[in-house]
Amino acid sequence: METLANLAIGFSAALTPINLMWGFIGCLLGTAIGVLPGIGPALTVALLLPITAKVDPTGALIMFAGIYYGAQFGGSTTSILLNTPGESSSMVTALEGNLMARNGRAGPALATAAIGSFVAGTIATVLLTLFAPIVATLALKFGPAEYFAILVLSFTTVSAVLGASMLRGFASLGVGLTIGLIGLDSTSGIARYTLAVPELVDGIEVVLVAVGLFAVGEALYSLLYQKEETSGRHRLTSLWMTRADWKRSVPAWLRGTLIGFPFGSIPAGGAEIPTFLSYSAERKLSKYPKEFAGSKGEGAIEGVAGPEAANNASATGSLVPLLTLGIPTSATAAILLAAFQNYNLQPGPMLFQTSGELVWTLVASLYVGNVILLVLNLPLVGLWVKLLQIPRPYLNAGILVFATIGVYGMRHSSFDLMLMLAIGWGGVLMRRFDFPVAPVIVGMLLGPMAEKQLRNALSISEGDWLVFVTQPISAAFLALTLLVLVVPHLLHARGIKLHEDD
Amino acid sequence: MTQPRAIVPVQLAIGVGVIAISAVLAVGAFRFPPEMGFVILGAHVYPYAVAVFLGVVGLLLCYQAATGGFRELADHSDEAAQALPGGKAGAAWVTAGLIGVAVLINLIGFVLAAGLLFACSARGFGSRRPVKDLAIGIALTLPIYWLFNAGLGVSLPPLVNAWI
Repeated sequence: METLANLAIGFSAALTPINLMWGFIGCLLGTAIGVLPGIGPALTVALLLPITAKVDPTGALIMFAGIYYGAQFGGSTTSILLNTPGESSSMVTALEGNLMARNGRAGPALATAAIGSFVAGTIATVLLTLFAPIVATLALKFGPAEYFAILVLSFTTVSAVLGASMLRGFASLGVGLTIGLIGLDSTSGIARYTLAVPELVDGIEVVLVAVGLFAVGEALYSLLYQKEETSGRHRLTSLWMTRADWKRSVPAWLRGTLIGFPFGSIPAGGAEIPTFLSYSAERKLSKYPKEFAGSKGEGAIEGVAGPEAANNASATGSLVPLLTLGIPTSATAAILLAAFQNYNLQPGPMLFQTSGELVWTLVASLYVGNVILLVLNLPLVGLWVKLLQIPRPYLNAGILVFATIGVYGMRHSSFDLMLMLAIGWGGVLMRRFDFPVAPVIVGMLLGPMAEKQLRNALSISEGDWLVFVTQPISAAFLALTLLVLVVPHLLHARGIKLHEDD
Repeated sequence: MTQPRAIVPVQLAIGVGVIAISAVLAVGAFRFPPEMGFVILGAHVYPYAVAVFLGVVGLLLCYQAATGGFRELADHSDEAAQALPGGKAGAAWVTAGLIGVAVLINLIGFVLAAGLLFACSARGFGSRRPVKDLAIGIALTLPIYWLFNAGLGVSLPPLVNAWI
């Protein structure tokens, strides 16, 4: 009941005109960048981080959250009409939804994606409302040793599960941890790895790395290696879903939500896995397996409904570990963590007590945001499609100009701009050889945190390293880490691959 | 993938690069100034751990590179093994634009530098109308300049410098 009372307070704050406006702007921006290829939510939130200097935390975080899940909504539009997934997590939608569009069923595909996202987003927010306070209460019992163990677990899952190769994931993580080392050590005050460059004493901003990797790296990579898509755009048809469409979509939405939410809330790295899992589940359960892309069919509506729901549910689910433990499970969540930190707010169990009103307003704004997105997406879909007519040179040049402003605006340093360019070329190399990017961001943000918890834990135990295995909760997390390392090998040995090509 | 045990030089170089980062971390940590007072875990311990971790990862990358290349590269990486025709020139334009903005932003001001970056990037992505691009770039950056300065309090360098 306490939860309901808190939520009511949250709603009363989220429904004030000013916060509604921030939510609306966030959803609008999120949908737009979801539709546009080459720019994603992590980059957008990173570029907007400077507003944390002016806007109050509630408004800014509501907007950032709107961008985060608005991008999931918008991504499906591009996938269905263009066959180029706007976001990596809408790859499956591109497969099945595009097939439907090719066969004159673009409308129902868009409708089931949008309504499915709404249903999944809302159910996932209910689950978040119910579970987050429980997790936070549990997490209150965690000491530094437990936190260190959780951080080790997150490092492992983010690098081991994302991408095709665990080794390359670890390489990315190591690079991220290295970037996190640069700057003043908070405990001893020693400047580490600053190479006598004064600009490096404050450390490297996460915005700079994110913008370098996602904006500059992406632009250079697409110039060098990506062929321009020549496939034409599909025509929009009536959004009306038939009775049969509804009957087939509803169960798929619910299953997608149930698959997506848990995957989002454990540190398993992004929305790709749940969308693929949901897709294969729908394909197995469907009464019309012949319609699926794999059987050269005309496109099955379940194949759009399930993965789109899973996608949105996992985005909401990833807010659970972010808010309750302070642990991001995706690149966007990592940038959101940076936004909290800009306000001197440390997400974690204490956040629910120290800034309860902010948390509950944010949660309430998720309910509101889902409604806004449904309204923005279905009737206005024709408008969003027009965004795709921006010529490629101008779109990319615009992204680069925004990237430059975002990085330069932080502290007016030409050095930062050169560093951004260098990181961008590093990003090209990483993409070329299939190194995942998210572990870099997560590593650079969580690395310093892990070091601090490690030191605190050892101070409490008076230098006894056994503390990590003798305390049950910490030992359990470390055992789980071992499992994450071993299980993929076992699956692999039995011929099962957690890989994206299905 | 064609020759199962061939050495892939580029990938070997990446592995060596990772080992080099590890070595820099280790040497750097060795040269930290001594800490005062009672220290449970010095500032050098965790960097050493990261160095060891990267060293092991780098060695394994080298091993894979020397025995047929990185495992399970995504399809797009194989297919796109060669840069697209014109891709290098495009990337060079974008790189030049970014270097240009870094060098010039304090000299010619934010709006002109960003406009120039816009024109260079558009050129890199295949546009062939530099004057029109420059105009669009400046038209795009002017409102941003105003928004950042007035709205967000993020002050950007002057519109144009006094001598222009």
